[in-house]
Amino acid sequence: MSLDLTQFHETFFAESAEALDQMEAALLKLSAGDADLDLVNTIFRVAHSIKGGSATFGFSDVAGFTHILETLLDQMRGGKRRVDSALVDTLLRSCDLMRAMLADTQAKRPVDKARVSALHAEIELIMAGQAEAAPVPAMSAPARAAVPQLAPEEIRSGWRIHFVPGPKLLRNGNDPLRLLRELQTLAPCDIRVDAKWVPPLTDLDPEECRLSWKIEVNGPVKEAAIKSVFDWVEGECDLNIEAFGPAAEAAVAPSAPAAPAPAVELPAVAPAPVASVAAAAPVPAAGAAPAATPTAAHADGGSIRVSIEKIDELLNSVGELVITQSVLSQLAAPLEGHEAEQLRNALGQLERHMRGLQESVMRVRMLPISVVFNRFPRLVRDLGQRLGKKLELRLTGDSTELDKTVLEKIGDPLVHLVRNALDHGIESPEMRLAAGKPAHGVIELSAYHKGGNVIVEVSDDGGGLKREKILAKARERGLVGADEELSEDRIYNLIFAPGFSTADVVSDVSGRGVGMDVVKRNINELGGHVQIHSTAGKGSMVRIRLPLTLAILDGQLARVGEEVYVVPIVSIVETIQVREEAVGSVANRAQVLRLRDDYLPIVRLYDLFGIEPQYTELLDGLLMIVEADGKRVGLFVDELMSQQQVVIKSLETNFRPVSGLAGATMLGDGRVALILDIPGIIARFESREGRRGAATRAA
Amino acid sequence: MNSELIATAPATGGTPVNGHVSLGTSCTIHEVQALRAHMMAQAAHTGPFEIDGGNVQQVDTAGVQLVVAFALDCLERGVPYSWKGRSQVLDEAVRVLGVGALLESPG
Repeated sequence: MSLDLTQFHETFFAESAEALDQMEAALLKLSAGDADLDLVNTIFRVAHSIKGGSATFGFSDVAGFTHILETLLDQMRGGKRRVDSALVDTLLRSCDLMRAMLADTQAKRPVDKARVSALHAEIELIMAGQAEAAPVPAMSAPARAAVPQLAPEEIRSGWRIHFVPGPKLLRNGNDPLRLLRELQTLAPCDIRVDAKWVPPLTDLDPEECRLSWKIEVNGPVKEAAIKSVFDWVEGECDLNIEAFGPAAEAAVAPSAPAAPAPAVELPAVAPAPVASVAAAAPVPAAGAAPAATPTAAHADGGSIRVSIEKIDELLNSVGELVITQSVLSQLAAPLEGHEAEQLRNALGQLERHMRGLQESVMRVRMLPISVVFNRFPRLVRDLGQRLGKKLELRLTGDSTELDKTVLEKIGDPLVHLVRNALDHGIESPEMRLAAGKPAHGVIELSAYHKGGNVIVEVSDDGGGLKREKILAKARERGLVGADEELSEDRIYNLIFAPGFSTADVVSDVSGRGVGMDVVKRNINELGGHVQIHSTAGKGSMVRIRLPLTLAILDGQLARVGEEVYVVPIVSIVETIQVREEAVGSVANRAQVLRLRDDYLPIVRLYDLFGIEPQYTELLDGLLMIVEADGKRVGLFVDELMSQQQVVIKSLETNFRPVSGLAGATMLGDGRVALILDIPGIIARFESREGRRGAATRAA
Repeated sequence: MNSELIATAPATGGTPVNGHVSLGTSCTIHEVQALRAHMMAQAAHTGPFEIDGGNVQQVDTAGVQLVVAFALDCLERGVPYSWKGRSQVLDEAVRVLGVGALLESPG
């Protein structure tokens, strides 16, 4: 049987992309002066694993480049290479290049050979021209010496590992040889193979791994470093990791004060790994150590990769079930008698289970926002260098979870906001010092849950928005009348107007006025809202409110004539019955509602969508006060119906985009209800009123 | 398949061999099925055997495990085998996987 390795390519690309993110994060920590040997080991292991994987799959360009990179990294690990910002720059560019090469390989495009050669030559030059024989203070010997500075609970004399590969491990493109090699890069290892499960040649499936290993890693290595070696085979093996040595014994001391010495004298640790055989006789666990540390892989729980399409199919099926359950409930409602009551009880239970199932599936689609936040350390570092600014990035709440689709769409708007903040918000170190601020500017990204939404904030401690300059520019462009007075919020909102920029100098970072309008549009398209707060001299904060998911929404059903519409509950401020004296009109035409101290336009849905209503008199129906983008309107409907969670079906996919509508859903009685897009409704209303006004003036 | 398997070969040195297994240049999961088939064909002989790993340039755990299985079969049958050669690559894999002692001929 010939093994088709192409089936593992996608997994390799996905895992390599994640590994490169880890490598970049470790490099950025190194660049920040954190001379931790574990960081170098992490970087080395990523290069090593990608090299091994690409060699296995025959991706020779990637394997060739990672080979020389690995050599350079090995010098760093061995203390022969000073870690300075120039070296970190080269390694970051190597990281970028590996990403590009993997992307090209995945897309079956030729890699950029010129770029590869240039960086290859640069690395060779570094290795050839600057061979640093003597240990250097930044990383080498001191870095090894830095190991004892680890937190006391993380210091171990060594680790005992029992590694039993699953039968499919080899077929899945993994190779224990590579893992054991990698393990030996951490510290000297004593490796004992167990071959007792290897059957006779006649019974052996040679693509199944029947060997297992007991390994002692002899040195002060972090548990995380050991675990990360086995990251790639998690779920495909039985893995048990236990600490041994004084620290491990100290850890169990309270419960086992008289812990005996290890029952078995272990072989002396040679500088080079010592191989011995423990065929039928397993090595007994050492002394009283077994409970000293938790095991590794099992404690973490397994995980599998599932394509988003499969999850969406599942979600879609759950959505259909919700509709069916709703149909059943409606059918059962008019029934009478004891059995009908029992049926309704059972349907009530079904509804609760359905909601639980729906929530479980939704949770599968959730990812931490760190997936997006992780790109910013690099961005901030690079931009800081280019702009000559000293910057500190703070990330908080990066474990906050969001739907994958929302996450994918929020990345670019956040990049725009951060670039703007760095370019225009945070001042140069000289200006900051002159203003009595620290030379380092701070940019903070934070995320948290609030009321069924996720809030993402981008804030800086720069100079703040220049209110007068924005207003002057807006007047110059005719966006605001010469005598028109605007609230602070509305002035700041002007920066979201297309092509609006107050930048004196257009740089390649920002300042062309392209971007902020796109940011707002993208966020609105996600069903989110954006607000700006700014204080002169102290900084600005952009707050984005996002829905948790794009697949389901909590809706209020409202009837207009024979039609039922779903109004997103998040947009509803309140619903009122209109009193005659509260209704007025502007210029004898458009009706407005006086609500407390405000005047709100009245939007008649039947008029907007051209349908036959039950009521045309405002006093007969209801006004739903809805809000979007800081604007509020009264939405006139015939009556309110129930509230329910609805599964959104895309109009764009199934029909075509319609302004003012966010999608459609199926109701319990089998009818299709359209879901209102409140920002779109307001825009459609304003546009139509604008045209009517122009027509009236022309007449 | 890169491995070149030779059914029989003349005796080397003073010990007459009845079977000769060449591991070829590549002894990886890609070749193990074919290599196993040829090893089984060899195992039909009475031995002693000669294993030639001198040309191995690529090796992985699957390849080494197969050689271990062959060696254990010989051990069980009490049939000696000898190494005609072991490349540096193969030696390193044997060392890292800790199977050195398993690949010492009983004879």
